[in-house]
Amino acid sequence: MSKKQIILGAQFPGVNNFTVWSDPAAGSQIAFSSFRHFAETVERGKFDFIFLAEGLRVREQKGRFHELDVVGRPNTLAILTALASITNHVGLIGTLTTTFNEPYPLARQLATLDILSGGRAGWNVVTSPGAFTGANFRRGDHLPFRERYERARDFLETARSIWQGGDFHVRSPYFDIAGRTGAGPLPQGAPIIAQAGDSDEGRELAASHADLIYSRHGTLEEGQAFYADVKQRLAKYGRSRDALKILPGANFVLGETLEDALEKQKAIRLQQVSPKNAIVFLEQVWNRDLTAYDPDGPLPEVDPDVAVEQLAQGRAARYDNRLETARAWRELAEREKLSIRELIIKVTGRKQFVGTPAQVAEEIDRYVQADAADGFVFAPHLTPGGFDEFVEKVIPILQERKVFRQDYAAPTLRGNLALPQAWQPVAKAV
Amino acid sequence: MTQKSTFLVGFGLHAGAHGDDPDWRGFWSGLIGRLDGAAEFLTLEDRFADPGRDGLDAILLANWLAPRSRDIGIIAGAPLNVLEPFHVSTAIATLDYVSGGRAGLLAQRLDQQRSLDAGRAIGALKGFPAVDPPSLDRDALAAAEVVRRLWDSWEDDAVIRDVVSQRYVDGEKLHYIDFQGADFRVLGPSITPRPPQGQPLVATSWTAEADLALARAADVVFVPAASDLAGIVAKLEGDGPGTGPKVIADLHVKPDVADVADLIAAAKTSETQGARGVRLILTDPHRQIAPVVDTLVPALRTAGLVAQPPGGDLRSRFGLPAARNRYAAAA
Repeated sequence: MSKKQIILGAQFPGVNNFTVWSDPAAGSQIAFSSFRHFAETVERGKFDFIFLAEGLRVREQKGRFHELDVVGRPNTLAILTALASITNHVGLIGTLTTTFNEPYPLARQLATLDILSGGRAGWNVVTSPGAFTGANFRRGDHLPFRERYERARDFLETARSIWQGGDFHVRSPYFDIAGRTGAGPLPQGAPIIAQAGDSDEGRELAASHADLIYSRHGTLEEGQAFYADVKQRLAKYGRSRDALKILPGANFVLGETLEDALEKQKAIRLQQVSPKNAIVFLEQVWNRDLTAYDPDGPLPEVDPDVAVEQLAQGRAARYDNRLETARAWRELAEREKLSIRELIIKVTGRKQFVGTPAQVAEEIDRYVQADAADGFVFAPHLTPGGFDEFVEKVIPILQERKVFRQDYAAPTLRGNLALPQAWQPVAKAV
Repeated sequence: MTQKSTFLVGFGLHAGAHGDDPDWRGFWSGLIGRLDGAAEFLTLEDRFADPGRDGLDAILLANWLAPRSRDIGIIAGAPLNVLEPFHVSTAIATLDYVSGGRAGLLAQRLDQQRSLDAGRAIGALKGFPAVDPPSLDRDALAAAEVVRRLWDSWEDDAVIRDVVSQRYVDGEKLHYIDFQGADFRVLGPSITPRPPQGQPLVATSWTAEADLALARAADVVFVPAASDLAGIVAKLEGDGPGTGPKVIADLHVKPDVADVADLIAAAKTSETQGARGVRLILTDPHRQIAPVVDTLVPALRTAGLVAQPPGGDLRSRFGLPAARNRYAAAA
């Protein structure tokens, strides 16, 4: 039996503490030369796609702008269209919210990207927190939290009917629009749809509508469980198991030897979690001002404040139960004798492949062949050279193992991902 | 004081100009290759919701053209009434980064029919204006103000990368714009650092029916050459000579470009009436590009009217001063 082919996405280093700015090799986060270097490198490495995250409001902590991490990004669709102009094969997937966009303008922009890239456009469909991000938009906080997935689904189906070209007329719970578009049919039929939500609703939306899932399941076992769960949801929508690809986010650290790589990993984690950043992370759970605490000292004895509004704004809320999280962290810190900073380094780690290029290639392959993933979306810690070594050393090994392409086989992203043709037209909601 | 600058020549196209050509990419790629270096600027009008002819999104097309060109200024159109000013601001800022300071925004005022079409395409939404001219004009002014304030919402030296204090950015140099208009509010700051020009150029097309404040708020106004140019220039310079926006005269080029002598005469007349340059409106670029680039533009230069493109960022070519940041503390 032939082996599964690995899918690789390249995330441009994002607006968060994983992107290391204090390193001498860290370049501009905004200069076009950085994006050009990044895109040309991953296209040389035959990556399936470039992936951009989204943030529509500068993050805040305790009512002030968060100063410790990289911040500042271009407009997602604009930079992807510029990259379409200087590349020929690599896919271009942007994260774009359904909350602060409207179907006709966004569908038309994605159609423009698909046309100008010759069929390489992709859309990671997300929803946004209401009031905080809404303060930058005309409609403001217009959507009850519980309805965000319903609007997303409705939005996506509305976009599909626009992508069919010609007359569109949608009257649905969230939209009442009409017009006639001259764009279409699109090179890919429709852009690739990715979905990132991990909740039951998110998984269901992915199973019914998406081509890719960007997931967060780090270990082999978690990955396999998620993979099995999502793939079994496809049948009820009449979709084959191959119609949806599962791609966890991950990082890598390469070294001459395993020990060398582990040393580097340690140094990178220290750069990512600066002393002040450790306190900021702790404040997200404690929801109190902890600036008086020593990052190299023990965890606070005081309990989290569950009464007031959260101090951190513009981040995905990851800690639903503050008291429970605090209890678990204290236990871990006591058991392993960890300082605040050491604990944060431990608990905020993402899936990392660490080792020599051969070890990293083998491990990636193992995850994919064991159905913990169909591939990965890698986010390096440096802009713009974060993929240089990976492309030079890891990609050739994956190619030798015959689990990654020698060259692009298809002109479109859909073709390179080996996805079935664009979805069948759905019944228009009229 | 009037700043003397070169008489400019540019081209006016819309983002559906590929017409029936099935190879849209080939058309635009070929076109920008011909235009780059031949003129100072190109405007790309957006045909948002124009039934069946809505074509490409003009700002995205501009971002695709920018890396394929080296010199030409690219002024991308957007009907602000039906878009989010935040998205427009970051997209034009991105164009300025991608083009290395050659970006501009053409703030489009749709006529009544197009406004109705555009309104139907987005639906009736809170925070968007009613479709009557006074509401639309008031909203367009507000939206353009938001776009501009967002460009200034990061000071140029906001990114500090200070290892000692562990800070990447100086929060004191990011600013809420806190704009409150009649229909909507935008808090800011932008997510995109201040673009290379600080303030990419903002242009608009003259419409007699429009609120005069719209044209006065722009850096550049395109006025039909056949209209009362001198009168309009005077109206725009309400606060004295040199205070208004730069006026560029629109010259419509006939499909066969048989009117070179007439166009040169019209350009000369417009200069005497106060225009700072001409925009050649191309209605059929497939046929017109070659004669316009090979014959008309060289003839304008031979007539001593237009110099070779002087280079520099787009603002400086139009004789606009370096943009001061409204939020930066005075030094």
